[in-house]
Amino acid sequence: MASLNLEHIYKKYPNGFEAVKDFNLDIADKEFIIFVGPSGCGKSTTLRMIAGLEDISSGTLKIDGKVMNDVEPKDRDIAMVFQNYALYPHMTVYDNMAFGLKLRKVPKDEIDKMVRNAAKILDLTQLLDRKPKALSGGQRQRVAMGRAIVRNPKVFLMDEPLSNLDAKLRVQMRSEIAKLHQRLGTTIIYVTHDQTEAMTLGTRIVVMKDGVIQQVDTPQHLYDAPSNLFVAGFMGSPQMNFIDAVVKVSGNQACLTVDGKDIPLNAEKSKALIDGGYDGKNVIMGIRPEDISDRLDGDPGEVLFDAKINVYELLGAEVFLYFDIAGTPMTARVDPKTSARPGSSVKFELDTDKIHVFDKETEKTITN
Amino acid sequence: MISAQVAKGCLEELTAISKVEFCIQDTNGQVFARTDNAEAPDAEMIASFCRSSVDSQIIGDRYLLKIMEDDDIAFTLTAIGSSDYTLMVARMAVSEISNLMQAYKEKYDRNNFFQNLLLDNLLLVDIHNRAKKLHINVTVPRAVILFEIQSEGDDTLAGDLLNGIFTVHNGDYLTEVDENSVILIKAVDSVEAYDQLQDAAQVAVDMLNTEAMLSVKAAYGTIVDDLRNLSKSYKEARMAMDVGRIFYAEKSVTSYNELGIGRLIYQLPSNLCHVFINEVFGDNVPDDLDNETLSTINTFFENNLNVSETSRKLFIHRNTLVYRIEKLQKSTGLDIRNFDDALTFKIALMVMNYLRYLNEKDY
Repeated sequence: MASLNLEHIYKKYPNGFEAVKDFNLDIADKEFIIFVGPSGCGKSTTLRMIAGLEDISSGTLKIDGKVMNDVEPKDRDIAMVFQNYALYPHMTVYDNMAFGLKLRKVPKDEIDKMVRNAAKILDLTQLLDRKPKALSGGQRQRVAMGRAIVRNPKVFLMDEPLSNLDAKLRVQMRSEIAKLHQRLGTTIIYVTHDQTEAMTLGTRIVVMKDGVIQQVDTPQHLYDAPSNLFVAGFMGSPQMNFIDAVVKVSGNQACLTVDGKDIPLNAEKSKALIDGGYDGKNVIMGIRPEDISDRLDGDPGEVLFDAKINVYELLGAEVFLYFDIAGTPMTARVDPKTSARPGSSVKFELDTDKIHVFDKETEKTITN
Repeated sequence: MISAQVAKGCLEELTAISKVEFCIQDTNGQVFARTDNAEAPDAEMIASFCRSSVDSQIIGDRYLLKIMEDDDIAFTLTAIGSSDYTLMVARMAVSEISNLMQAYKEKYDRNNFFQNLLLDNLLLVDIHNRAKKLHINVTVPRAVILFEIQSEGDDTLAGDLLNGIFTVHNGDYLTEVDENSVILIKAVDSVEAYDQLQDAAQVAVDMLNTEAMLSVKAAYGTIVDDLRNLSKSYKEARMAMDVGRIFYAEKSVTSYNELGIGRLIYQLPSNLCHVFINEVFGDNVPDDLDNETLSTINTFFENNLNVSETSRKLFIHRNTLVYRIEKLQKSTGLDIRNFDDALTFKIALMVMNYLRYLNEKDY
């Protein structure tokens, strides 16, 4: 069991490329932390620095309060699972899991105990005598994880371990990993570019972009209160709708003008815009697809947007409607009973309490 | 040569199955390997048996047999017991040990062959003959993947682990020509199978990272369709490793086929590089660009010289970025908002990186 502290960590390569910039994070014991972000954002590099596979250019890494910067990877009590794994084809599942320990000259009886214990955790006991070619994709992945578990490490590092699996297997393995975390009670740091994986697995999520942490928060808070435009767009599928708007203030009430229509905001959001001096300024309005509803007609005084449906996508339990407002493509997640179809004209209502507003220049959140 | 440990392991397994105890001695009577309850005959008895022309003898309650290697006596084997069953088991033991000796010899010979082949120490005519003798197919498409171990640890760990994945059975072969690197001669499906090569290298790096906790870089050369050209692939892999280290340090696997402009610069003589740097910067060589400037320049290049996008990425005001670019222009004479100047600056930075590498190498 271990806690980690990453203080002002930088990774700079000799060619000047800075992969990670001023990374600060405290990870508590038994946490399941997710590093998420687009390709090249520095998440894997950070993970590799924690493992000791990459040097830390500057900053301090502590595990359980002990500085680890110059400790060899093998002495950090860490185990890793990467996306590219290979099972030794001529060895049984047992030998595959035991091989790393044998190389480290661990006594035979200890290896046996560790392998059988890991097999029990991963539900592989019945398969210990099988060769890899007789296993399914999911079982092979579990063996790869077993190789990490047998070491009984303080911290598990997982770098996109599911990205080579097909969609169905990924969902299955996702829940296996969640269960594994509960059973092992170990600190896990998990890297992914898949925001669904991040949302479902993590106790906290670290969103990264261009080597910089954008936000660290619980999945729900990250979704409800993104700190900037990037986080708002990255988390959630389909992603949040963004549209240009102008702030109009009268007294204590602020409105966002979009496509000639004034959208009144609640007191809290109005205050944030007024206090920030945004009256008359261009901003970006964000609204999630589930916060837009379709209506056949509306009451007088309601703010409704008329739009023609471009695409209708039925997903069974929900429907995605694609349409344009002021030339900006938008998506709404609506009830499957909707009568809207491609080409039909629909009125859309926005849940104004769920509107997010972003500064157009800095892209930081003004109000959530 | 077979090790005493391997021979002992083999004898113990045979004893566990047959309940017959064994002892192996060299021709001087020196014990090489034996099972727990086997008593070794004295040196004189062994010498006398070696001088005799028979293959086996029964002396008291034990059988003595000769283990031959290339028509010479390599060892004697003593089996405790006088029954026909003991003789049968003893003959099986001799056969087992002889085969092991042959396999080890072949392995050593193969290793020697591949090492000499990679280092260009073989005559062209010898390559074909020796390959045939060692049962190595000459015309299989192959490439060299070089692994450079960057962390301290057990020297044999990387080799042992890679041996578990890439087996001779699949036409792959592992060898070493120095302490810090392991060479994988990888057989592939065709001369175009670069994806296969990239996958193999990436899997190996990830396995060495996860299983052995070793920090590793890999580089591979082009695929050759004849064993005689394997040294070319090895040299290319070496060069890819060097170029990768200088210009693409963030990559864990470098391919000789994808070295880009780094390859051109790497092949320039250092005096030409100095002339170029002098021509670009004159007396104002930006030897020590601070982190902030370097990061600004790199981000500006990554964002296709777009000022707005770069300032957003760097979380700085547009005017701050313009100020930094103009400051750089003042000190170097190059305005990196202009494509030609940006290109010159980018190449100059790479050349400076290369010169720095050469300096460090000289030390």
